Amino acid sequence: MLELLRYPKTISATSGLGTIVRGFFAPTIGNYPPLFLLIIAALFVAGGVVSFVRRSAAPRLAVALLVTGAVFAGWGLINGGAFTHAGFSLAGRTGTFTWLWQTAALILCGVCVWAWAASHPERAALTVDNLSETWALFRGNRQGMLGLGIIVAFVALGLLAPFIADHARLASDAQYGHLPFEPPRWSYYYIMGTDEQGLSVWAEFVWSARISLSVGLMATAISTLLGASIGIAAGYYGGWMGEFWMRITDAFLVIPWLPLAMVLAAVWGHNYVVIIFIIGVTSWPGTARIVRSDALRVASLPFVERGRAIGSSGWHIMRKHILTNVFPLIFANTILVVAIAIIAETELSFLGLGDPLNFSWGTMLHNAWGSGGATLPAWWYIIPPGLAIVCVVLAFTFVGTAFDEILDPKLRSREGLSGRHRGRPSALDNLATAVATATVGGAVAGPGQGDIPTERRGVGD
Amino acid sequence: MGQRSYMMRKVVNAILTIVLVASFNFVLFRIMPGNPARLLLPRGKVSASDIERQRHAFHLDKPLAEQFLYYWGDTVQLKFGYSFYQKRPVTTVIAERIWATIILCGLGTILATLFGMSEGVIAGWRRGKRFDTWSTDISMINYSMPTFWQCLLAIMFFSVALRWFPVGGEFEPLQHFHMWGPIPLDWSTFETLTYHITLPVLMFALGYYGEYHLIMRSSITGVMNEDYVLTARAKGVSPDSVLWKHVVPNALLPTVTLVMMNLGFIVSGAILVETVFNWPGIGLLSYESMAERDYPVMQAVFLLGCVAVIVANLIADVMLYYIDPRVKA
Repeated sequence: MLELLRYPKTISATSGLGTIVRGFFAPTIGNYPPLFLLIIAALFVAGGVVSFVRRSAAPRLAVALLVTGAVFAGWGLINGGAFTHAGFSLAGRTGTFTWLWQTAALILCGVCVWAWAASHPERAALTVDNLSETWALFRGNRQGMLGLGIIVAFVALGLLAPFIADHARLASDAQYGHLPFEPPRWSYYYIMGTDEQGLSVWAEFVWSARISLSVGLMATAISTLLGASIGIAAGYYGGWMGEFWMRITDAFLVIPWLPLAMVLAAVWGHNYVVIIFIIGVTSWPGTARIVRSDALRVASLPFVERGRAIGSSGWHIMRKHILTNVFPLIFANTILVVAIAIIAETELSFLGLGDPLNFSWGTMLHNAWGSGGATLPAWWYIIPPGLAIVCVVLAFTFVGTAFDEILDPKLRSREGLSGRHRGRPSALDNLATAVATATVGGAVAGPGQGDIPTERRGVGD
Repeated sequence: MGQRSYMMRKVVNAILTIVLVASFNFVLFRIMPGNPARLLLPRGKVSASDIERQRHAFHLDKPLAEQFLYYWGDTVQLKFGYSFYQKRPVTTVIAERIWATIILCGLGTILATLFGMSEGVIAGWRRGKRFDTWSTDISMINYSMPTFWQCLLAIMFFSVALRWFPVGGEFEPLQHFHMWGPIPLDWSTFETLTYHITLPVLMFALGYYGEYHLIMRSSITGVMNEDYVLTARAKGVSPDSVLWKHVVPNALLPTVTLVMMNLGFIVSGAILVETVFNWPGIGLLSYESMAERDYPVMQAVFLLGCVAVIVANLIADVMLYYIDPRVKA
């Protein structure tokens, strides 16, 4: 047991603050693809320009946004290999001083939040109020807290990976004198045995957490952005525009995503940018359908009509009235989509579409299966990654359902009204309903037909 | 809405979606980087005359608009080109493999629907009782598991440890099935088939079981909150009668769409199960053709998968028309 504490990690925890900080932002962490960094930079710069142009906003916020954008842009350029002999490439990964860039970017993001709060004190106070109220409700939800605990544990595993397992042990030429498929034994790195190359399964497991979680989160971000904006636009505009977007949504709903992903990944190469893009682009129709049916409801409420009567633009109404009212639904749905995205990433990686140099739990299972680990049977190589996936997916489902309950008063009041069923059964109800809705994207949520009832509701109100 | 106009609308919608998806398929294989003709040939050294021949075969030497017309002509005639990995026409390759998939997925879907849905009905009816909490917890866990991991666990346990079933492996008889020909099913073939298919079918069913359970259960509990169920109870209808005459028929309606949609997805969706068990169906075919970069086959399989989902959706809409009186109104 002593060995667990004493075992040499990448950076020992006793070597001083500077080393620890540098280890935390080690190159293997900061190696984000330049494409992402440049997109983030563009978003920040756009935000800064908008707040400069608008008279109401404070210049402090605009400056903070622009500086952060510049830092992200610089980071992206350096990571892409600009100013070197090799020249710039969008997929290049030659990061230097990544820990410095990352620290600066994090601090500047904090400064942006502070600048926003300083220039909008009332709204900041309101946000803090709302957040603390939501947190108080969330704390009362046992399932949600359990899920949150699991998520925090796995996120910590991913973020602290350099302290837990040496990244050098993932290299296929690393020599530690172990045979392939050694069963687990009582030693820090070999507590989960060895893989088909005689490497530590535990080290792979730890570093996989990072890829699996971040791919799931980023794919969800794309999916939610697409789904929410298309759903809101379709719900607000109705008519031929709404019809057009719904037709597109239906077309995407019928595209079998796995063959499509296989085609795209085979052509564009095996890396996580492609996987994130594929999952994001194929998983938005469900969100769009759910958001649209709620946006239809909100768009028929009196205050939207009043807004239109006093001459608000469509963009303003969609952003200030409809998005604000639909947001709880989007938020809860987003967390449920993370679960689906993580499973999707695992499936793609299992088919061998993942980045062969960066492990994810799916890649581990791909290697285990491809090298005949299942027939050995090398249970120590196959069970841990799968169990981790199950835990993470369940955790996100729990948290998503908890937010569904908190943010949708209907679900809470149903529990209160029926009285007889408290606690577990209604928690199960909400869980099953949330999963059912997230899986099929509201395709079966209405009484069978889907579009007829919602349309009638939208017009009749 | 009259029957005719409803059916017409659904059929026209389906055809429009097929046209949209098929056009997307055309675009998809042309936005790829590099020379499409080169993509349609195997990796490695290829002579210039081969490239030229392939360009001609796929009409890639014509302008884009003309290519589009040729693409539609070929698609309508089910001509998908020539698989360079299998060295046979794509249509033949798919026709050989499709029976394996239909048998596997058909049996699996029947099992999943029967068990998942009936369990969901009982769980929803006995909401909050021990059966409900246990079965719903199990389906939640099952729903959170990647299908292929369940397959790997099953292989490790049933095939390797207990030696009840084969570890995937080659399976000859199905290779000789042909879509248009008779099925050569004698007793020994049947025996081998059963021996090989049991585990894949069970795993395929397990992949959908949790989802069906959860959706059926939430549908049942939703219907049980309706006023007409309360009325039925109040006027003294027996509990069995309430369940089977009032609750289940109404709760089944939304699940029809779901089952039909999944039926459409199985043509392409069995990729994981078939790959793990080495089952010679469409799923394994698309995995192999991805590994070999066999684009003509991938293109055809992708289109087939899309069309299957659209047709299944259309069938669901038609079925709903007959079983759901609200659609007619």
